[in-house]
Amino acid sequence: MSEFVQYLVNGLTIGAFLALIALGYSMIYGVVRLINFAHGDVFMIGAFAGYGVLTTLGVTGGSAWPALLAAVVVGALTTGVVGTGIARAAYVPLLSSPRLALLISAIGVSLALEEGVKDLTHARFKSYPGVLDGGRIFSGTVRVTYGQLALVLLSVALMAGLWLFVTRTVTGTAMRALAMDRDAARLQGINVERLILVTFFVGSMLAGAAGVMYGLYYVQISFGMGFLIGLRAFTAAVLGGIGNLPGTMVAGVCIGLVQSFAAGYVSSRWTDVIIFGLLIAVLALRPTGLFGERVVERA
Amino acid sequence: MKARFALLRNPALRHGGWPLLIVIALAGGQVMDDYQVTVAGTILIYAILGLGINIVVGYAGLLDLGFAAFFAIGAYTSGLLMLKLDWNFWLTLPAAVLAAAAAGVVIGYPTLRLRSDYLAIVTLGFGEIIRITVVNLDVTGGPNGLTGIPPVSVGGRQIVTPAGFFYLALAFFAVVLVLTGLLARTRLAYAWRAIRSDDTAAEAVGVPSRRVKLLAYVLGAAVGAVAGPLNAAQLGTVDPSSFTFLTSLMILLVVIIGGMGSRPGVMVGAIVIVALPEALRTVQEYRGLFFALLLIVIVILRPQGVWPARPRRFRLPARAPAEARPARAETGALLEVDGLTREFGGVTAVADLRLRAAAGQVVSVIGPNGAGKTTAFNCITGLIPPSSGTVALGGRRVRGLSPHRVAAAGLARTFQSIRLFEEMTVAENVLIGRFARDRALLRPPRRADLDAVRRCLDFVGLADAADRPAGGLPYGDRRRLEIARALAAEPRVLLLDEPAAGANPTEKRALMELIARISGLGTAVVLIEHDVALVMSISDRVTVLEHGRAIAEGPPAEIQADPRVIAAYLGVPDDPETDLVTEVLG
Repeated sequence: MSEFVQYLVNGLTIGAFLALIALGYSMIYGVVRLINFAHGDVFMIGAFAGYGVLTTLGVTGGSAWPALLAAVVVGALTTGVVGTGIARAAYVPLLSSPRLALLISAIGVSLALEEGVKDLTHARFKSYPGVLDGGRIFSGTVRVTYGQLALVLLSVALMAGLWLFVTRTVTGTAMRALAMDRDAARLQGINVERLILVTFFVGSMLAGAAGVMYGLYYVQISFGMGFLIGLRAFTAAVLGGIGNLPGTMVAGVCIGLVQSFAAGYVSSRWTDVIIFGLLIAVLALRPTGLFGERVVERA
Repeated sequence: MKARFALLRNPALRHGGWPLLIVIALAGGQVMDDYQVTVAGTILIYAILGLGINIVVGYAGLLDLGFAAFFAIGAYTSGLLMLKLDWNFWLTLPAAVLAAAAAGVVIGYPTLRLRSDYLAIVTLGFGEIIRITVVNLDVTGGPNGLTGIPPVSVGGRQIVTPAGFFYLALAFFAVVLVLTGLLARTRLAYAWRAIRSDDTAAEAVGVPSRRVKLLAYVLGAAVGAVAGPLNAAQLGTVDPSSFTFLTSLMILLVVIIGGMGSRPGVMVGAIVIVALPEALRTVQEYRGLFFALLLIVIVILRPQGVWPARPRRFRLPARAPAEARPARAETGALLEVDGLTREFGGVTAVADLRLRAAAGQVVSVIGPNGAGKTTAFNCITGLIPPSSGTVALGGRRVRGLSPHRVAAAGLARTFQSIRLFEEMTVAENVLIGRFARDRALLRPPRRADLDAVRRCLDFVGLADAADRPAGGLPYGDRRRLEIARALAAEPRVLLLDEPAAGANPTEKRALMELIARISGLGTAVVLIEHDVALVMSISDRVTVLEHGRAIAEGPPAEIQADPRVIAAYLGVPDDPETDLVTEVLG
């Protein structure tokens, strides 16, 4: 029983930042109909930016909440800028090209980011200083740390912020309009290119924040870390129904739980087989995801 | 620009290009050193994989991000059979192809309903499942893979040198090239391009879209699988790390860099993908980065690929022979719709509709916007299932059949918002209409097909535009092309959904004349139209729909006098809208 609760807690923690990454996939897909393959690598950039902040500040360990927060903020802003730059340079010029061209461009960007960071870091792993509070909330067989709680709370706060942004602000409303019909949105006076860049900024910020959180939680980061996490997050975005933000959040947490339970009860070697098998099974039965998609396919 | 490529359009070169390339390759094998010849062999392996994925992605437009799975299945099947059961290499080849084809069914079947973006993730996931499984299982050698695979022997001689392997790969490539070349001429290839363009429209005019998609997976997998045993033979090992997502990407890039659906493009793509990183060996450390950036530049500069596909034009007969069959001597009601009802949630879009159309008749369905006219058409053609009711064509019940079967039973249609296969030529569009009469896939279009295409184009007056892409036609011609495509099915019943929308008076007159000629062939024409004057002048009978219900049915003269119709269409006295209508008509 305590095993089960432990896996549940771990799964929820992982799911919290998987959901953050998945939201970026979902938002970006909504406005440009692109599976942003570079998104997982943007997440990786965020992890390295946060690492840079912590080492520059000279944090070596212990509880350093201000430094930790600074790392998250700087990580998110860095990826926001990087993501927007990528969109400007590699995606916007291809908006009127066949959609596959856009996808290939994204794959190119993904490779470029991985290879670039690989060259810069000489393909070495980096370790986050252990700043996350390791203090236990519960003593006993189940380990729940204040750090885990902080990560989950931060994720929830970011998701709530995104929800308010998308539903309550003019820009967010325009974003939803853009996801429905690009041409109609343009005719209503929406600056489509600018809005696309804003979407990339917001989506990439979430991924960057998740990257820092990943570093804090798992400690070790490397240039290739974005690939598998990106795939799992993308799976969550599809399962949740692309463009459907609440669905994506729920699916992100679900994938986190599946990952944790699969690793605990089966073997971590089979985790991804189980995740992808589940994905194929769900899509075969419900072609628009568990919760239905919210984008309109242009006929 | 044009002059420079004029040479490439020379027909002798166009058809002689491949043999020429093979001859150059044979000669090249003599002069290249071991390293170069190994790289050249790898290029051929990627070219074979590229020809395989070209079927799935290039022709059928189904995005596949896990194609390395078929490469892996081919390699492991062959390797395991050789190592565990001591099979001969040549015997394992068909086994490898069959195993991959079976895997094509496994991945193809559950994904038939999925949109292309979801296909991307499902195929990617499938690729990862295969890779992780072979890494985790003991029988496949785990992370070490299979080692000690015996060399291939041809006619008693073992192939051990890099040059020997290169010739072996060249022979494989030539065979695959010829087979995919034959495939590219079949009706199946046209069907693939049609579903890539618009699978709903293709299904509606008679293409069995599910079967066609599944065949794309199966044949693509079978072709790609050939590269597996070849790769195992080249290396003497099967290494699971050569079937990662990156490999799948490389294979996909072969077709995307080259140009989707283009076989010369596949060759260009394979050379770029394999030779370029090798050429960058001097800058070893940065070559991954350089390659990635180059990729982005290529895509931004040439989004259609380096060597875009130029589909072959088929030669239409100069004159269409008269129809071989005598005009259909059918009489009586060809289309019988009874009690047709369709509900969406709580809304009844069509309620208890009865419709009859006899041979040679023109029957019109009119009604205000939202009356359920198009929904009725969609139910009749099987595009959406009706909630209840029956539909019979010439006495045969067709309700519940999939659209392509309904089309094959003799019901053709056009769409309110014109749905053509935009990237295909006018003649090819009409050819797709032939699938309703003849569903054969694995052979080239017959003379009868070409005659029919010619006849239909002549019939609507588009013969001069036969080789132009449908996407470039002016609006009026697009309407006529859609009608020609429907006529290619030699339908018993033709449903036209607002064919006069957006037409000027001259075009409307031409359309009326065209409809009269179609009904003169003995076809029953059912027309949805808003132009009341047009409807009244050409219809034998008119059905008026309002809120999904037929409120009147009869000859035009009766309908025009029917007070309920006048009320639905023109409003009734004391209704504020009526004044507006009188004013406009005034």
